[in-house]
Amino acid sequence: MSWRDKLGRLDTKYTPYLVIAPFFVVFGIFGLYPLLYTAWVSLHDWQLIDGDQGFTGLANYTALLSDGNFWNALGNTVSLFLLSTVPQLFAALGLATLLDRGLRGRAFWRAGVLLPNVISVAAVALVFAQLFGRDFGIVNALLGFVGIDPVDWRAETWASHLAISSMVMWRWTGYNALIYLAAMQSVPKDMYESAMLDGASRRRVFWSITVPSIRPTILFTVIVSTIGGMQLFVEPQLFDPGGTATGTGGDDRQFQTLVMYLYEKGFRLFDAGYSSAIAWVLFLVILVVAVVNFAVARRIASKG
Amino acid sequence: MSRTLAGRATSITAVALAATLVAACGGGGGDAGDGKIKLSIGIFSDFGYTDLIKEYQAAHPDIEVEQRTVKMEQHHTQLATQLAGGRGAADIVAIEEGNITQFRQSKDKFVNLADHGAKELEGQWAAWKWNQGTADGGDFVLGLGTDMGSLALCYRRDLFEAAGLPTDREAVGALWPTWDAYLEVADTFSRKTPNVKFVDTAQNVYKAILDQTEEGYFAKADDSFIGDKNDKVEQAFTLAASLGEKKQTGALAPFSQDWNVALKQASFATTTCPAWALALIKAGAGDEAAGKWDVAAAPGGGGNWGGSFLAVPKQTEHPKEAYELAKWLTAPEQQKRIFKETGNLPSEPAAYKDPEVTATTNEYFNGAPVGRIFGDSAESLKPTYRGTKDSKVTPVFNNALSRVETGKQSTAEAFDQAVREARDAAK
Repeated sequence: MSWRDKLGRLDTKYTPYLVIAPFFVVFGIFGLYPLLYTAWVSLHDWQLIDGDQGFTGLANYTALLSDGNFWNALGNTVSLFLLSTVPQLFAALGLATLLDRGLRGRAFWRAGVLLPNVISVAAVALVFAQLFGRDFGIVNALLGFVGIDPVDWRAETWASHLAISSMVMWRWTGYNALIYLAAMQSVPKDMYESAMLDGASRRRVFWSITVPSIRPTILFTVIVSTIGGMQLFVEPQLFDPGGTATGTGGDDRQFQTLVMYLYEKGFRLFDAGYSSAIAWVLFLVILVVAVVNFAVARRIASKG
Repeated sequence: MSRTLAGRATSITAVALAATLVAACGGGGGDAGDGKIKLSIGIFSDFGYTDLIKEYQAAHPDIEVEQRTVKMEQHHTQLATQLAGGRGAADIVAIEEGNITQFRQSKDKFVNLADHGAKELEGQWAAWKWNQGTADGGDFVLGLGTDMGSLALCYRRDLFEAAGLPTDREAVGALWPTWDAYLEVADTFSRKTPNVKFVDTAQNVYKAILDQTEEGYFAKADDSFIGDKNDKVEQAFTLAASLGEKKQTGALAPFSQDWNVALKQASFATTTCPAWALALIKAGAGDEAAGKWDVAAAPGGGGNWGGSFLAVPKQTEHPKEAYELAKWLTAPEQQKRIFKETGNLPSEPAAYKDPEVTATTNEYFNGAPVGRIFGDSAESLKPTYRGTKDSKVTPVFNNALSRVETGKQSTAEAFDQAVREARDAAK
């Protein structure tokens, strides 16, 4: 083998690794290192400003497990996640099916559904906070027309969860719809044609052909939405009238999510050690939920 | 062909890698090439420094000052992370009264201004204000005082008239020598005008009463938590909560967006107002309410609410220059000018007793003699002791009051829960 051939072979063998290396280097610096550092901090009594006050082992974790506020935040997070993600993904599927039909001005509608996602989340939260205002909000005004008493959207648990979920849904439904749409377009058209010839209804075609065909995409969105949902922070935080001053998510923590609790402990109460423990537990929770989700979603998607 | 392509890819990768590493390890600043010393000053809301800084730069051609403004809660959180990280903090940082105790604990992250001669300045400030900014029995000077809160009560003249109450500010002040008298006025007001709330929020009433006591949640002697034993806390809480139970409050989060809307809609008639709050009320109520708001003396005499300090984080490269600027900005002459500009009340007797200040009136508030009202209040105030963990405990009680206002809990239930949570937070 000539020198040139040898070099060429080395090239094809190792160059791909070099090319993907930047991602892993960046991930190592900004992802893995903080993750490990956080784990280290969580084993200490660590004050935000003054730093390490001594090794405490798993004390932060045991405290966390008997901390009612933690379980409350976990419950809120799961509730908000279910309330926003489940209807959102179904709505996105429906929306994608509609967009998949031969619409006039297709590009306009397709770009339009992405619009809510482009707007800054802070702006969205501000607008929704106004919509769901107790005294002068539009939603309460509309409810008034049909004879329903005004709702104190921030005070009640269920009401605050509904309001925040609506914010999340508004932002992400179109985004997921576009992903579904892209997947639907790669489904072979002749499958639809033969189904039509066999006299299948639209609904039957949707559940028996469309959904199974885009199963991997559905799995992908479920996982991504799970991660996003478990990390919900900005929407509820900005919905809280007390804002970051309290960071408790309502006067009785009725909509405090896990990340909000992490923020409260770490950045308002300056307890970095405890906060890191929450971060790690959150990481594990997301992992577990994602795996369960994966299993459930695969089963559902493979039916029919 | 393929070799060159791969070769190119390799070199691109190498460059990208290098760039990433540089980006990750780089950072850090330095002074501009023009030889000027750059100072930054980190503040929240309006400190009235813009014109002063221009003037300072003109007098010191070798210094360039940059103002960084963020929202108050964010400001202190950001400062904490910057101190923790050892970089990123401004050369001069503002710290609010409620937060300074917390930062005092980490005083090794700050420059001891006494090293630069700050002790000579002590006589400028009201003694309590000076003490709030120092540690180690006065040996460590953490911050120089800017403004102070002082306390008054703002009320809407037109709403008072509609309720058949007097509208003249002296007469209004005389209506409520005590907070119990204030409750009676609330009852009268609500009877006559049931559709308007008497006060914006129970939280502010509670804070005002508490600020008139010598001790709040923590013992002056040893900084221990006494929120569960101090009768003053429970009394203030019960009194403020009773307004909420009777639905005489707007149940608004103080200074929130909803609070602004309610101001605009004239849906409440009174609000506690430290000097700095006048600007917020004016901004919220807008021009169409000009002359409708007025300022009266607060029930129960003076109290302090708010006011900040200028401190110099140790990470600055120019401690001396930063100190000089902070010293100039907090000198009586400048404090007087800030008062005229923004209404922030000086914390130095030489400034707040100055005829120029005491003669100041506020046109928007029906020409109220704010200089005299706040100056008098400042003279009579006995500052509350703020514990190291004050800022951790305060939100717990505010949330409890909010639960009473929204009808979720009785006063007793809310207070019990608050005390339980406060004990945890103060641990």
